[in-house]
Amino acid sequence: MDNIEVDILLIEDNANDAELAIMALQKNNVAKHIIHLKNGAAALDFLFGQGSYKGRNINNKPKVILLDLKMPKVSGLEVLEKLTSNELTQKIPVVVLTSSKEHPDVEKAYALGANSYIVKPVDFESFRKVVNDLGIYWLLVNQPLL
Amino acid sequence: MDENKDDIVSFFSEGEKTHQHVTANQDIAERKRAEELIIANKELVFQNEEKKKRASELIIANIELAFQNEEKEKRASELVIANIELAFQNEEKEKRASELIIADIELAFQSEEKEKRALELIIANKELIFQNREKEQRASELIVANKELAFQNEEKERRASELIIINQELVFQNQEKEKCAAELKIANKELAYQNEEKEKRASELIIANKELVFQNEEKEKRARELAFQNEEKEKRASELITANKELAFQNEEKEKRAAELMIANKELIFQNKEKEKRAAELIIANRELKKAENDIRKLNAEDIRKLNDELEQKVFERTAQLESANQELESFSYSVSHDLRSPLRAVSGFAILLGERYDGLFDNESKRLLNIIQENANKMGLLIDDLLAFSRLGRKEIHKSKIDMAALAENAFKELSTPIKFKAEVKIGDLHHVLADTTLMHQVWLNLLSNALKYSFKKKKPVIIISSEEKNGELIYSIADNGVGFDMRYAHKLFGVFQRLHDADDFEGTGVGLALVHRIITKQGGKIWAKAKVAKGATFYFSLPQKN
Repeated sequence: MDNIEVDILLIEDNANDAELAIMALQKNNVAKHIIHLKNGAAALDFLFGQGSYKGRNINNKPKVILLDLKMPKVSGLEVLEKLTSNELTQKIPVVVLTSSKEHPDVEKAYALGANSYIVKPVDFESFRKVVNDLGIYWLLVNQPLL
Repeated sequence: MDENKDDIVSFFSEGEKTHQHVTANQDIAERKRAEELIIANKELVFQNEEKKKRASELIIANIELAFQNEEKEKRASELVIANIELAFQNEEKEKRASELIIADIELAFQSEEKEKRALELIIANKELIFQNREKEQRASELIVANKELAFQNEEKERRASELIIINQELVFQNQEKEKCAAELKIANKELAYQNEEKEKRASELIIANKELVFQNEEKEKRARELAFQNEEKEKRASELITANKELAFQNEEKEKRAAELMIANKELIFQNKEKEKRAAELIIANRELKKAENDIRKLNAEDIRKLNDELEQKVFERTAQLESANQELESFSYSVSHDLRSPLRAVSGFAILLGERYDGLFDNESKRLLNIIQENANKMGLLIDDLLAFSRLGRKEIHKSKIDMAALAENAFKELSTPIKFKAEVKIGDLHHVLADTTLMHQVWLNLLSNALKYSFKKKKPVIIISSEEKNGELIYSIADNGVGFDMRYAHKLFGVFQRLHDADDFEGTGVGLALVHRIITKQGGKIWAKAKVAKGATFYFSLPQKN
């Protein structure tokens, strides 16, 4: 895992949503290496090379992080706060991908430095298109920091 | 028997002849011959006895034969009867035989048919065997797919049961929250009422104070006037004394008058004194009044301050309660929007994936069923969106500004007619401008117009007319269509959440749109109502206050 380039880090507690998202991202070979972690705590461990990811090469950063907001243990907003307040991680683009379009969340997410905020559509066809599009945008269209 | 007797007699006579012939010559031969005859006789006797036995036996045998003959005759007659019966049976059998021949011919024909059919069946069997093999292959594939589906179903059932528990909890929490909200509403109304009462009282006190001040001023003025009059009167008295002296001095005749005048003067003096007394009293009274007024002012100020403090405390408490209730409501909306959406997306998504991945395994009916799952998941998504919009409206603040209603309605119509091509003719009159919230009123036009378009869509020439009028300080807007209308008996249900007056098969919708409109209009101090006739169209009216 250390040396494989990570395209996308998907942080999502709902297994079904994660499966659908991964499927949408793999369509047309948009993303090859997707790492899926089920909660905020695991995501922080992974990104900072701690806990069960102790010793991981932390300079191998994902090109983009897809972050769900409502998660057990450490919430998405908490993860976002930790990421943007740490030099190591603050430049990784974070796309908040959530079911909630409640205003406080949107506001907080942007205030904490989210690069994008996407409400997952209920209808799967739209969901697939949205997720596929964002994969294309962040992996192929967007120029990453070198 | 008789014959035998004759034989015996003849034998004897012959023996006598023989005896006579040989007597002389041959005694010995004759003796021998006699002995032989004796023996022969004995034998003859024996034979006779035998014959007698035999005769009796024959008699018995004869009797038996006679009996047997009788029996045979009986039997013969029976046989005759039997023969007749046999003859009848034979005839029957011949008839049956001829029938059997016909039946045989038929059977032969049927056999041929059956052989033909058998050949066909053999061909069909071969085909079936081939199909069966195909089906077995297909079945084994389906078994694999079924196992996978069964596994997925179990997962889903588990998740569903978890969701049911969560839902039950949510329902319980909702009920609690609704209860709490209703109590808060009542408490708020009471507070508002108390506030109004206090404000009224305060304004009354202010008016009373103003009046007191005014009365005091009036009294002071009056006192000043009296003082002035007194001075005037004193002056006048001294003038009169001078005049009297002059008069007394000048005119003795006028002394009388002078004396009278003196009396009058005395009287005047007395009156003046009285007036002075009264002025002094008034001054005292004024001072007292002033003091009383100050007291009242002080007292009122203290009371009002105390009441205000209490009120503020109460308002503060209630506000805190309301804020926490609002926060709870917000977190509830959040849960609804988040927790209900995810499982719905899973339902819709995996139904589509199932259809895509196992496309070859599904026939048209299975595909139709999958489609139903998907459509309903999407519909529920819309319902949740509408419900959230509805609940958000309860928390939204109103920002009023002057609105050109005709332009706003026109905008809404353009927004609607972009995605769907309506053949309806929409006539928007010269509408009154109004002071209201633009975003909310835009929503009102969107919902009412889309309803009018939806329910008149099936008409040949749908026509929608929007107009407004001014009445009793209110602006009344109306939107009339010539669509399917509705039964006025159910008009009271029009604006309830999830209430629908038409079948879902006939017209799509979630039943939230009019509830939303109702909430927007009443929130801005207006009213909404409708008139309709089945198949003759419907007109929706809403009023808004003309002045804020």
